Amino acid sequence: MIKIENLHKTFGKNEVLKGISTQIGQGEVVAIIGPSGSGKSTFLRCINMLEEPTDGKILFKDQEVTAQASKIQQVRKKIGMVFQHFHLFPHMTVMDNLTYAPVTVNKVSKREAEAGARELLKRVGLADKEAEYPGRLSGGQKQRVAIARALAMSPEVMLFDEPTSALDPEMVKEVLDVMKSLAQSGMTMAIVTHEMGFAKEVADRVLFLDDGVLVEDAVPAEFFAQPKTERAKSFLEKVL
Amino acid sequence: MQKRTYVLLSLAFLLVFSAVGAVLHMGGHQAMAKEKHKKTLVMGTSADYAPYEYIDTTKGNKIIGFDVDVAKHIADKLGYNLVIKDMDFNGLVPALDSKRVDFVMAGMTPNAERKKKVDFSSTYYQAKQLVVTDDPKIKTIEDLKGKTIGVQLGSIQEKEAKKIADKVDKVHIEKRNKVPDLVQEIMSKRFDGAVIEDGVAIEYLNKNSDLRAFEIPDSATAGSAVALQKGSGLTADFNQQIAMMKKNGELDKIADKWFEPKSKKKAEKKSIVDFSTIMPSVPYILKGILTTLKFVVVSILLGFVLGTVLSLFKISKVRVLRWGADAYTSIFRGTPLILQLLIIYNATPQLTGYKIEPFLAGVLTFGLNSAAYVSEIIRAGINGVDKGQREASMALGVSYGSMMRQIILPQALKNILPALMNEFITLTKESAIIAVIGTTDIMRRAQIVGADTYRYFEPLITAGIIYYVMVMALTVLGRMLERRMSRGD
Repeated sequence: MIKIENLHKTFGKNEVLKGISTQIGQGEVVAIIGPSGSGKSTFLRCINMLEEPTDGKILFKDQEVTAQASKIQQVRKKIGMVFQHFHLFPHMTVMDNLTYAPVTVNKVSKREAEAGARELLKRVGLADKEAEYPGRLSGGQKQRVAIARALAMSPEVMLFDEPTSALDPEMVKEVLDVMKSLAQSGMTMAIVTHEMGFAKEVADRVLFLDDGVLVEDAVPAEFFAQPKTERAKSFLEKVL
Repeated sequence: MQKRTYVLLSLAFLLVFSAVGAVLHMGGHQAMAKEKHKKTLVMGTSADYAPYEYIDTTKGNKIIGFDVDVAKHIADKLGYNLVIKDMDFNGLVPALDSKRVDFVMAGMTPNAERKKKVDFSSTYYQAKQLVVTDDPKIKTIEDLKGKTIGVQLGSIQEKEAKKIADKVDKVHIEKRNKVPDLVQEIMSKRFDGAVIEDGVAIEYLNKNSDLRAFEIPDSATAGSAVALQKGSGLTADFNQQIAMMKKNGELDKIADKWFEPKSKKKAEKKSIVDFSTIMPSVPYILKGILTTLKFVVVSILLGFVLGTVLSLFKISKVRVLRWGADAYTSIFRGTPLILQLLIIYNATPQLTGYKIEPFLAGVLTFGLNSAAYVSEIIRAGINGVDKGQREASMALGVSYGSMMRQIILPQALKNILPALMNEFITLTKESAIIAVIGTTDIMRRAQIVGADTYRYFEPLITAGIIYYVMVMALTVLGRMLERRMSRGD
């Protein structure tokens, strides 16, 4: 579904991504892990062009995303994204957060969008919060709304950029549970995370990035049990 | 922002606009009470020149004066009803030229330039030049040695004063924009005297027992004549009537009524502050609220819309737009507002030939000026919105326009509301500057009442209170909006 070829990204003189190539298949759940500063967030943000790659190609369903900057909106509406800091629209109710993009971008009728939104809120366990403003929600609730907001656009892929890193520990589980059920429903997902347990349990593949290079690409059982490289080994020793 | 807030805001604007509209219909021209005749003559005048023509501020908007009485008399004799249109003095000749008025009486002196565009009747009044002073020792021009005298800038009196200075040693001449300013300077003991035309001086002499006057020998006389449309058939009729009025003493009778000194109430002790003298004129000042409100609302809207566009230019990726918006801001913030106003008001006719109305010139100046400040406020507001809001919108495939309108600007607006309110309050107060181009706003009306009653403290304090109340109302409105917008925090 997504193909990445020789992806480079430079900020000023700092080369953050040094030529990454991989692909993500339909229905696959990929966990992207690595030390901080390894370029995993930048890698994820390149997929929907929130960061413009310096070099290399990204293909979404055989369409080259990097070549057609003008059509990027068409691609983005099919790629949902969840941020570390939620980025809900604070001046809108939960309901409006969910219906805004479907109504504005996909020209879905308000009524249909609201019906869809209620369905999604039920799915993330927040059916009673549709009239609340984001400011009144807990971190975990906010992130679940953010996931529902992304899903409201009926995306074909979901990108998660450290979705639980900004949460208090007791709220991590409720978000991971939602993600787990989403993975089980067959959604294609790319997740930048520090939750090794989650990666082990839910992911189909683990991408280990270090210093802008894709160091290992393996199934979780294999990666966590017998990492092939020294770098992965020392990283796992620190986090596990 | 919520829909209900929008509705509330638009309702408020609607209210103001309809009130303003109603008042606009009231103003403009004034018909004489009785419709005695079948035909109507429209007279153009500039009602700021007592006692020739002026608005009696104690009695509302009615235009009265020497010219008005003469005009009424002539119109009546010729079998017309009289309608008076008040306008800027500079607009009178063009109004005749474009046939918007039938004739003009405004203490107007025939000169070669005017004669190219309009016809004049014979003169109906000859003015004399007086020295007005509060110093009993000054009785002749020779007594002015070593004294300071005032004149109106660019007037015939200015030339007359120069002639005095040629004859008498060490006469110092000071210039002011308006005749009332001259009188005020005499009262404040800054001037020893002023050269003023008799018809105008008489008003001041009547109302102020400290003032006296004597005629300047061999002074140039300026005659007032009726101006009519070029080739108008009425000119002969007017000449005939003026001749008749001169013969039968009717003209002298009217002149006596307006120009003769009235018996002065002597030894009347005035208290330092006395609001009772201006009480009848307070409604006149209050009417300025609508002018000021209309002015402020239109200027704010213009400034806000333009400021928003400029702020978007400032954050744009296109260098030319950024550069243009920055240059715009730098110019409008770097020069005095009153200079901008005078350039737009006075230079527009010079450069383009378009005689811009004072109100339009004022709204343009204030709108353009305010846009510079508003654009900076909004730019800061947009930059203050979390970058994540932009990313979240982009990730959802939302277009730039929708994102700005519905996601970024509403949040920016909430953050900058106090700063915006501040700008609107400043604009409301600064609007008093438009008085200099003759717009009858609160400030101008207070000045007119001051000139009328020779009391300055009371009308100015009245205007001050009105401005203060308006600013307080804006402040309260701002707080209410802020509270509404902070729902959901």
